[in-house]
Amino acid sequence: MLGTHPLASSISIPIVPGIGGAEVTALFPLVTFVLILAFGRYLPFKGAFPGIVATGLGFLVALATVVEIAGGAGPRHETLHTLVAGVSGEGVTLTFGVLIDPLSALMLTIVGLISLLVHLFSLGYMNAEGEIDLPRYYAALSLFTFSMMAFVLSDNLLMSFVFFELVGLCSYLLIGFWYREPGPASAAKKAFLVTRFGDYFFLIGVVAVLGTFGTAQFASYAPGVEASFVEIATDALEHGETGEMRTFLGLGERAWITAIGLLVLGGAVGKSAQFPLHTWLPDAMEGPTPVSALIHAATMVAAGVFLIARMYGFYALSPTALAVIALVGGFTAFFAATMALVKQELKQVLAYSTISQYGYMMLALGGGGYVAAVFHLTTHAIFKALLFLGAGAVIIAMHHEENMWEMGGLKDEMRTTYLTFLAGSLALAGIFPFAGFWSKDEVLFETLVHALGGGAPVLFVAYALGLLAVILTAFYTFRMVLLTFHGDPRTDTAEDPHSITLSMKVPLVVLGVLSVVAGVLNMGVFKGFLPENALFLERWLDGATMGEQFRESSLTAEHYHHVLTHDFGAGYSSGYAGLGEGNLALVGGVVALVLALIPAAVAWRLYGGAEPDPHMMNLGRIRTVLMNNYYQDEYQVWLARGFTLPIATLANKFDQGIIDGLVDGSGGVSLFAGGRFRQIQTGVATTYAALLVLGLLILIAVFAVTGGWI
Amino acid sequence: MTEVTTLPDWTAIAPALALLGTAFVLLLADMIDPDDSNGTALTGISVTGGLVALGFALWYLLAGTGQPGASQEPTEGAIELFGDALVVDGMSLFFSVIITSVVVLVALASHEYLREHPYQAEYYSLVLLASTGMVMVTAANSFVTAFISIELVSLPSYALVASLKTNEGSVEGGLKYFLIGALSSAIFAYGIALVYVATGSLQFGAVEIAIADGVGFDSLLGLGMLMILGGIAFKIAAVPFHFWAPDAYEGAPAPISAFISSASKAAGFVLGFRVFVDVFGTATGVFDWVDAFLILSIVTMTIANFTALKQDNVKRILAYSSVAHAGYILIALAAFTGSVEGEISILGAGMAHLFVYGFMNTGAFLFIALAEYWDVGRTVEDYHGLGNRAPFACAAMTVFLFSLAGLPIGGGFFSKFYLLFATVTGGQELLGAALIINSVVSLFYYTRIVRAIWIEEPGEDLEPGEYPTGLYAAIAVAALATILLIPAFGFVIEYAEIAARMIGG
Amino acid sequence: MSDWIAIGALAVVAVVIPLSMMFISWLIRPSVPEQGKRATYESGEVPTGSSRQVKFNIQYYMVALLFVIFDIETAFIVPWTVIFDGAVEEVGFAQAFAPMAVFIGLLVVGLAWAWRNGAVEWVRSARAERQRVE
Repeated sequence: MLGTHPLASSISIPIVPGIGGAEVTALFPLVTFVLILAFGRYLPFKGAFPGIVATGLGFLVALATVVEIAGGAGPRHETLHTLVAGVSGEGVTLTFGVLIDPLSALMLTIVGLISLLVHLFSLGYMNAEGEIDLPRYYAALSLFTFSMMAFVLSDNLLMSFVFFELVGLCSYLLIGFWYREPGPASAAKKAFLVTRFGDYFFLIGVVAVLGTFGTAQFASYAPGVEASFVEIATDALEHGETGEMRTFLGLGERAWITAIGLLVLGGAVGKSAQFPLHTWLPDAMEGPTPVSALIHAATMVAAGVFLIARMYGFYALSPTALAVIALVGGFTAFFAATMALVKQELKQVLAYSTISQYGYMMLALGGGGYVAAVFHLTTHAIFKALLFLGAGAVIIAMHHEENMWEMGGLKDEMRTTYLTFLAGSLALAGIFPFAGFWSKDEVLFETLVHALGGGAPVLFVAYALGLLAVILTAFYTFRMVLLTFHGDPRTDTAEDPHSITLSMKVPLVVLGVLSVVAGVLNMGVFKGFLPENALFLERWLDGATMGEQFRESSLTAEHYHHVLTHDFGAGYSSGYAGLGEGNLALVGGVVALVLALIPAAVAWRLYGGAEPDPHMMNLGRIRTVLMNNYYQDEYQVWLARGFTLPIATLANKFDQGIIDGLVDGSGGVSLFAGGRFRQIQTGVATTYAALLVLGLLILIAVFAVTGGWI
Repeated sequence: MTEVTTLPDWTAIAPALALLGTAFVLLLADMIDPDDSNGTALTGISVTGGLVALGFALWYLLAGTGQPGASQEPTEGAIELFGDALVVDGMSLFFSVIITSVVVLVALASHEYLREHPYQAEYYSLVLLASTGMVMVTAANSFVTAFISIELVSLPSYALVASLKTNEGSVEGGLKYFLIGALSSAIFAYGIALVYVATGSLQFGAVEIAIADGVGFDSLLGLGMLMILGGIAFKIAAVPFHFWAPDAYEGAPAPISAFISSASKAAGFVLGFRVFVDVFGTATGVFDWVDAFLILSIVTMTIANFTALKQDNVKRILAYSSVAHAGYILIALAAFTGSVEGEISILGAGMAHLFVYGFMNTGAFLFIALAEYWDVGRTVEDYHGLGNRAPFACAAMTVFLFSLAGLPIGGGFFSKFYLLFATVTGGQELLGAALIINSVVSLFYYTRIVRAIWIEEPGEDLEPGEYPTGLYAAIAVAALATILLIPAFGFVIEYAEIAARMIGG
Repeated sequence: MSDWIAIGALAVVAVVIPLSMMFISWLIRPSVPEQGKRATYESGEVPTGSSRQVKFNIQYYMVALLFVIFDIETAFIVPWTVIFDGAVEEVGFAQAFAPMAVFIGLLVVGLAWAWRNGAVEWVRSARAERQRVE
């Protein structure tokens, strides 16, 4: 089970289990969850301490796993528990198992790291502020960490779905942590409802996958797993072996695969806050800021993107699904960025920026850039968690004031926060050499290459939207930084901010450093000038460090590329506009950098002074539309209120109104003497009987006519 | 099969005999001193009797009684008794297990609930007589035995619903139940008569053969089938035959609500499965009962769920939830394909859901019994903050409710998933969509109760009363069973599919 | 067809005879109005409540139910006794006797319970006493 590489065995055996027991990463927080739930009140720091220990241990195990994979171990795919074994040959077998490959190991590490840092940060943000009910907070945080890790480790779609829902539940619990106030309570409900809407489609997708392929496995390394559903689908399209695959609704194989892909995409769109289901995320900012950093920036929101990446081999088969993903992603990236331009609250800007950045990841996935998407997922997790934690520090300093126009000049009083926040902002804006520059550029590059290669023309549109979003991103990022930290303090609080604790500074520094250097993972812009194996992440996702079992399987980036570029799959091809790959990458990088620097300069001009003016007011009616988020909420509320509620009311009327009405009516004209109680009693029972007979007569009438009895 | 060779055939109905015997033992015990009941002794007798019956049913089921032997076809092996009037097969034993389990839980929970009740012996013996009827329904192999067994279920149930004689709601609910029940029985009997006219027989096997040979009175047969459908729909409380259910469940003592909504429903369904799939399986040309069940299923789950949204009384919410579940289980009949293999997994899903439902629904109603025992009130508001006072029972209630909703905290998740899968197998995607939408809707009102219990602040200080042992034990057992049915679900579905194969094949 | 004519004629006769008897007695009887005569008659039991909805003491129904049960018992026992000898010859004494023994045994338990619980102890309600028609 353990790798033969000396480094792997020497590190992993004495300290932590590594790949052989990676599922313990998820078990630690589960244990903590139970502990805190039972004894939260008596634990050190109201449960923060066990949380830190558990996530710390989990992070270590995740690291050990990464090290072992780097040393040649893995992949590991094991069915831990077979839940349902119907009579042989019928139904489906539902299993719970773990799948550890480079993708899940990477994600596990991200979740472990951010979770650990957020726990640490919460010490300062929650404990030091004297919040009550902290055990509930830490219990939910632990439950979330558990669910998220289990989601990452899932080896089949159904299990993914289960944990997908669990993280949703945790999100609901944590957004609504301050449930006594109306804002968080309703935001929690909204987040739950909107994501649930996407999840219906996901659930139908899961059933469709099981019904179509008879299995929902992502991989087929485990003994007893003959083929993953992705492999069956690939075989069906590549070799026409449709034996194990059933299609429904009279659709062909490709159309049906597209349909399933789009159904599952519904869940991803909801969870990753893509248009039109993005409306919950800005409201989710009502939750505690560390929660926003962990759940609504770095990890849970990434679950949608991760899900698509997890079964990317499946999506690579369907050009239609990819085009939809690319378009949704590109549009969301642009659309959310416009709304971020005018927001006045710090966290709102960050929320829309998060939506926008996840749009980039979707764009990458749709544009055929699997590695780019995972890369941006990684860097974004780091710098967006950093920005949220920084915002948390500012909010604490400002005594829970979030309006940026009430801040200003904080850079001198809050040196650490300012520097780290700046690092995160530069990464977000995509300025060389910060982490975001490399990953965002990779996203755009991959999309452009496949657009130039004559793939779907829609990729050009998506690419253009992505490029426009670069401009907007740089602008709102610098506006945010300048308003918050530069100029003169605009209020008394900003003049004399509350100090923040060391436990808040440590996570900021760690993430700040990572934001600067994480680009090293995959310096694609220089791919023309670097040796082949310097693109670490690409090699990692190809399984270059691992044995043949993985390298020749269907979960490598190379395999995805193979499917993408063949006609049985998406049929993408690459075009470099006559520049060659390396040069085009460089040109793209320079263009993106220039496009980011110009708006940065404009922002500096507009907001850089000591007393910046609210220039956005000049936008007039456009600003109103943007402030109202394009009235997205309104129609969704209408759907709930104007559509669902009347149905509920109608059904209630049918059962209660008609009966009560009849009874009350008969009461009025009744000739019988006697107490009202008796009247209601006899009245209701006869009405029941009448309705019962009426129902039977309707049934008889319907079937007599259709069945030809008369 | 050894015990079949050692025991005479008639012992196959031992579960029913055990229940019947216990009912009479209770009456005898009551004769010792009719004016002063010893509640503990009566509960003890009832629980023991229920356990004996459960033991027999489980033993037979696991030992393979009435099921195909190694050398037999999957549809053979049923034990036919009394000139084919009764049949003991996998399905009847499977459902006997459900029913007797519920009886044990209900009897156990009634111990404290009845502490002031003047007619305890009568109460218990009526419960046991009704359950005898239910077990007989599972084994009915002729319309005569089916009708008599159904009446044996119904008559004690009416009395049980009205057994709180000084409570207006109870008496009102009982009377309504009785009136609507009488009407439905009449419809049912009329349907049987029409089928008899058309086919010339009342025995299921003979009717099946007559239908297969073709009868001359298609419209009479069809009308008869529809009326039988009506009678069964009453028993399982499917819209529009459900009107009695909310009133009866609300008025009845909560353990009885649990009993009727779980066990009685299971008995109704077993008759539905046997009569429609087995006997009328080839008669879809005469009366397309699959479409009829499809309509009933969708209408039932939709109306019940949306009505439940607007309720404030917790017991009424659960009553509508119980109606909604009838709609879900009807999928097993509504997705009937006529093909043997598909049908087995579809029917099996329905049976497995009934099995899980037996525990989770009983548990939820027993929690209400606990609340009524403490006099905390009836509305959702009255339940505010109960979690602080009775964390264990409330945790169990949370399990029940979420399992009813189909969240993966109890066996309800898998059984609902299998139902969903059954709609796909049966090619009824519309039904699947209705199931999903309705499950989501139901989540709202289940969550509402859970939120009231755990999150809301109590309106006034709740006095921590005594903790009734029997009631708590019953809730604990039900909760444990609900949770354990996640890992054990494979086992349940296996036996459900064996049962389904015997009638579906 | 002629058979049916005979049946129809008999039916007419069956209706005509009682009607004519009532008519004749109405013609020749003396008219002595008295309340007792207008009271509903049911096995000597005294009705309570208004005349529009006649009600009886609940115990009347208890006895009536017991009566119906034993009526049915008789309906089962009579054919059983008729075929008993033949049945013994065919299936043996135990097989022929045991079912009826069980049936009667169940009824006996029920009767004993009802007796013990006071189903046959007649208690007059105060209201029934008051409205009693002498």
